[in-house]
Amino acid sequence: MSTNNIVENLKREIENFSLEVKAEKVGKVLEVFDGIAKVHGLSDIKSSEMVTFAGGERGVALNLEEDAVGVIVLGDFSKIKEGDEVKATGRILEIPVGDSLLGRVVNPVGLPIDGRGALKADKTYPIEKVAPGVVTRQGVDQPVATGIKVIDAIIPVGRGQRELIIGDRQTGKTALAIDAILNQKGQNMICVYVSIGQKDSKLRKIETRLEEGGAMAYTVIVSAGASEAAALSYIAPYAGVAIAEYFMDQGKDVLIIYDDLSKHAVAYREISLLLRRPPGREAYPGDVFYLHSRLLERACRRNEKYGGGSITAFPIIETQAGDISAYIPTNVISITDGQIFLETDLFYKGIRPAVNVGSSVSRVGSSAQIKAMKKVAGTLKLDLAQFRELEAFSQFGSDLDEGTKRQLERGKRAVEVLKQLQYAPVKTEHQVVTLYALTKGYMDDVPLEKIKEFEQKLTDYSERNAKVFYKEVVDKKMWSDKGEEELKKVIEDFKKSFK
Amino acid sequence: MDNIALAIYLALKDASKQEQPGALRKVVEFLYKKRLISRKDEILERLKKIINYHEKKLEVKVSSAAPLEDSVNKELAENLTRRYGAKSIDLIENIDPTLLGGFKIEVGDEVIDLSIKNKVNKLQEYLIKSA
Repeated sequence: MSTNNIVENLKREIENFSLEVKAEKVGKVLEVFDGIAKVHGLSDIKSSEMVTFAGGERGVALNLEEDAVGVIVLGDFSKIKEGDEVKATGRILEIPVGDSLLGRVVNPVGLPIDGRGALKADKTYPIEKVAPGVVTRQGVDQPVATGIKVIDAIIPVGRGQRELIIGDRQTGKTALAIDAILNQKGQNMICVYVSIGQKDSKLRKIETRLEEGGAMAYTVIVSAGASEAAALSYIAPYAGVAIAEYFMDQGKDVLIIYDDLSKHAVAYREISLLLRRPPGREAYPGDVFYLHSRLLERACRRNEKYGGGSITAFPIIETQAGDISAYIPTNVISITDGQIFLETDLFYKGIRPAVNVGSSVSRVGSSAQIKAMKKVAGTLKLDLAQFRELEAFSQFGSDLDEGTKRQLERGKRAVEVLKQLQYAPVKTEHQVVTLYALTKGYMDDVPLEKIKEFEQKLTDYSERNAKVFYKEVVDKKMWSDKGEEELKKVIEDFKKSFK
Repeated sequence: MDNIALAIYLALKDASKQEQPGALRKVVEFLYKKRLISRKDEILERLKKIINYHEKKLEVKVSSAAPLEDSVNKELAENLTRRYGAKSIDLIENIDPTLLGGFKIEVGDEVIDLSIKNKVNKLQEYLIKSA
């Protein structure tokens, strides 16, 4: 571009510029501390309204007091001085949204932090919005294929559901969520990963992992780092769900992961205490339940009349020493439509993902499970429950009758089959075949240590030879008698060659 | 504090010329008894606001780069009286060379910024955004 062109362009831009003069509400900073600014003036400000500081920093008015306003500063508060001008904007905080966000890492105010240049987004969405009402909603009946056998089979999740992932540190909570994102390739799903107060190194690792798995093409990462202000951690999940709502408004299905809401609650507690709101249980403020309920209520499945689309939420909660009766875990358990429990004991026993099948539930997901999966998983749940009971019992004596022994062996194999490596999601149809072989007893005479190998080779072999069965499961979500006959024959053939 | 100032205003408003010294004395005694003398500045400031509000007096701060001509000031006062429905206007002039030109009107926490500085800032914002 020549100099003339630049001047021409600039001229045109300036010609388009119109200056509107209007009376603005302006306040003055009384004090600034720990990311909070007390502002005098701003008489007509509304709660959650966005304000701008003289240096360009943005803030949100949270506390409206008799003669001052408590504002949380989004960003660097060290540049704000006493006496600085603060302008009210009359709008609540908004963030840029658009298709160009896909594959990007942004902070909670919508600024890119992945070093890939400015974002081109022409729309903005408010971060706080009232959740869709009853008339716009539809029941959950479409499955989310997470690619994790134990979840898809026993704790199925549907599109529009809110399923909590809960467990101690280092039990694989994030790994589960990342696997779920990796498996959404080609499933017509947009993913939003909200990282709240996580180490930047961990975020980097996740981003690289998603990049390698080709998942960034349909993923947006919203990150409020551990070193940033608590105010950013506080708004991060709302920013994430605003981005998700944009994609839902395009009629798309969205999977959003909040990693994790314990840190979110802690950030909100910090802000609340600094704003001198009265502390309640565990020093959390009184509205900490509403904090999470209004967030998770925005996950929904909308009916066709209102544009369709859905937001499925996977909130994550970290417990301390397995204490799920602490304040925040009980709150979020009661808000969500089920939970996936991860346990340290199972993790160290080598059962990974360390899902405790007994105490994990999905309250609405079973109606979203495909028929074929329902068929094979129904007996699996029973097998596992009986196994757990017998396992404790069998430790006392060795003289067990044949039936009990068989059940024990079956249970051991079921546990083995449900084990899965990280970053190795399994296709639904492969899961169906494996679980079919398990529940119909084809694995009973395979040695325990060979189960994994058996599973691997069986899925390869059957995909090549049981074409009718596979086609039926993929297209019709259920097999016919013909398909089942074929699969049975294929499994028997395979067993002859497997040694 | 607001309530105290309001109470003082109401107590003094209805007092006649002769009663006023007595009433004022009572106010001071009250403040002394309630240990509020140390906060007299705060109360006084609020009292001023309350008086302005009740008497429809408007305190306006006008900042400009150079002193404004009388005719401009007069016109400004007229316009502001109409806009805010005030009975009288108290213009406080302030010279601020950093405004470059034009002027800036401050009424309470409402600001009408007609300075060149503000326009330049707005233009800068616009050009950054559209780029």
